[in-house]
Amino acid sequence: MIQTENVLFTIVMVGYFAAMILYFVFAATRKETLWKAAFGIQAGCLILHTAALVIRGIGAGRLPMTNQYEFATCFAWALCLVSLIFIHKYRFPALGIGAAPVIFLIIGYAAMQSREVRELMPALRSNWLAFHVSTAIISYGAFGVSFAVGIMFLLREKLKEGSYWDQHIPSLQKLDQIGYRSVSLGLLFLTFTILTGAIWAERAWGSYWSWDPKETWSLVTWIIYMVYLHLRLRRGWKGKAAAMFAVIGFICVIFTYIGVNTFLPGVHSYA
Amino acid sequence: MPFAIGLLSVLAIACALSSLVTQGQAYNWYVSKYGERTAAVIIALHADDAYHSGWFLALTGFLCLNLIGCSLVRLPGLIRRFRRMGDPDAMGEPTATEEGINKPESVFETLRMPSPTARKNGEGREELYSAKNRIGLWGAWICHIGILMLILGFALGQWTGKQETVYGVPGQTKLLGDTGLAVTIRDFTVSLREDDTVEQYTADITVTEQDTGRSEDAWISVNNPAKRFGWTFYQNSTGYASRVRVLKDGKDLQEEILCVGESLAVADKPDLIIHFQAFYPDYVMADSGPATRSGQMNHPAWLYLVAYQGQVLGMNALMEGEELTIDEYTVLFDQPRNYTLISAKRDLFTPLALAGGLVTMLGLMLALYVRPASLKAVKDGEAWTVYGRCEKGGVLFAEALRDAADAERKGKPEGKGEQGT
Repeated sequence: MIQTENVLFTIVMVGYFAAMILYFVFAATRKETLWKAAFGIQAGCLILHTAALVIRGIGAGRLPMTNQYEFATCFAWALCLVSLIFIHKYRFPALGIGAAPVIFLIIGYAAMQSREVRELMPALRSNWLAFHVSTAIISYGAFGVSFAVGIMFLLREKLKEGSYWDQHIPSLQKLDQIGYRSVSLGLLFLTFTILTGAIWAERAWGSYWSWDPKETWSLVTWIIYMVYLHLRLRRGWKGKAAAMFAVIGFICVIFTYIGVNTFLPGVHSYA
Repeated sequence: MPFAIGLLSVLAIACALSSLVTQGQAYNWYVSKYGERTAAVIIALHADDAYHSGWFLALTGFLCLNLIGCSLVRLPGLIRRFRRMGDPDAMGEPTATEEGINKPESVFETLRMPSPTARKNGEGREELYSAKNRIGLWGAWICHIGILMLILGFALGQWTGKQETVYGVPGQTKLLGDTGLAVTIRDFTVSLREDDTVEQYTADITVTEQDTGRSEDAWISVNNPAKRFGWTFYQNSTGYASRVRVLKDGKDLQEEILCVGESLAVADKPDLIIHFQAFYPDYVMADSGPATRSGQMNHPAWLYLVAYQGQVLGMNALMEGEELTIDEYTVLFDQPRNYTLISAKRDLFTPLALAGGLVTMLGLMLALYVRPASLKAVKDGEAWTVYGRCEKGGVLFAEALRDAADAERKGKPEGKGEQGT
């Protein structure tokens, strides 16, 4: 079973890489078929990726979200899912140009981690695990999309009005709104993640908040996006400034995920 | 608003920087890790206990004041805006306008607006109006209240809450601090899987109220605490314990159960200390020093340290059956077992913090996902002009209105685009 998962994982990684290249070639050559092919490959990879996760879950007898490899591959899965939804919902194919490299980097990070299936330590044997980690995955995926939208905003600013890209990249105003919506999705799920984590910690250790580095950085990320929301209410802070803030926010998300595990170990060291 | 943004930014930076400094260590620890000058700065700024320091509490206090002020100042305007949304004459500047509509009802339907009310406006023209998601206006305000409750619940819990720990092996009874409760550990089980990893730690305890003599039993395991006499008991952690016997001239002198890290003072020579340093159930001498191959009691070894009048006399490992002899004294380690560490907590304000978290969540959902919108159609000759106003996400709402209007002009009942704004 694990071998099947490994094969699927490799196919998915190659597929995400191919989609990224196709998006780049589309950006360079402007051939419509390329982004459609990239979108199709991504959608196909998402199905295979889902199958890989399900197989791993069945093999492990639990949700596959408990170590660095599993979280990273789920993160890439969520980023792919949310980006495809946003591309479809907002008719925004060029979003893939920003999102596909992030998906590939995250799945690449997953590939570098140990894929060994380990039994859960007692503290992780809780029903709260499913709520806490799955909401974190969706949250990170949505913030990844807001990062990609922010990048597209900054690129769109450099393009002239009436160019070819008008039909593939929404107006700056709409991009700003899409970025806001992806941050909204991420923030809502991050709040849910923090809340479920606190409830779980209360049951496991009798302390719902203990300033563990991961907790602290989740709070820092939450505050950064709260500042983003407040800044948007002020004149002159929508648009470019908001896009840059979304980019900075995602860098903070990545630090919370990878940096904290690497440099600031705590009770989340296994994730 | 600028104050709130500045305060949030400072809080984020303070939290981030504080997370980089290991909390709760002694001055010497910081000196050895960062050097004398940096250690002095850390202590001076209370960065060694940043989250309980005066400056951090002051920042949090300012945030609370800001939240209270913001909530109070905005409340009257919010009530006015909420009321105004139901009044077609007070609709305000439209976000988007579409002209030349024949059947405005289909636009209302496509945008999932409630059934419009018809009336004649001040100019005597026919008018349709409806508003939806007015509750969304309250999102940010509710979110602020939730955060306030959360901080208040946490602060009161830290201030008034109590936490105690007891540890021991089955058969022992320990007092739970000065709570008036005693905990008897009746049984403690470490369930291992086939691969030797720990599946669960379970303790069977009895809690006794000393004043009344009332007792209640409880099973606790990791993630499954139990509440007794207003206290919540948690299976916190475990470690190794052992029986230690001291013989003098071959005769029993004393016997105690020691947990790893504990010491025993010899009964008739209190300056002589036996310290139980570590225990290895399946002892092996690795390159890095003593280690254990597994959690099974295959080859137990006890690491001890002997001190006399504060001077360390020696440190070594004893295998099963081996004795330690110091002059006329003989020390024996045997009957290794797991001890359990149980923590107990009493915090009356945890429910307030939890309610605060849920209210924050509700506020965010309303603020981010319930978008208040109003739609007004005014008959302009034979055709209608539709005015739409959305309090949040105006561009996407305008696009949805345009799509709905286009669909109506083409005679289709439903338009593409975002319908749920």
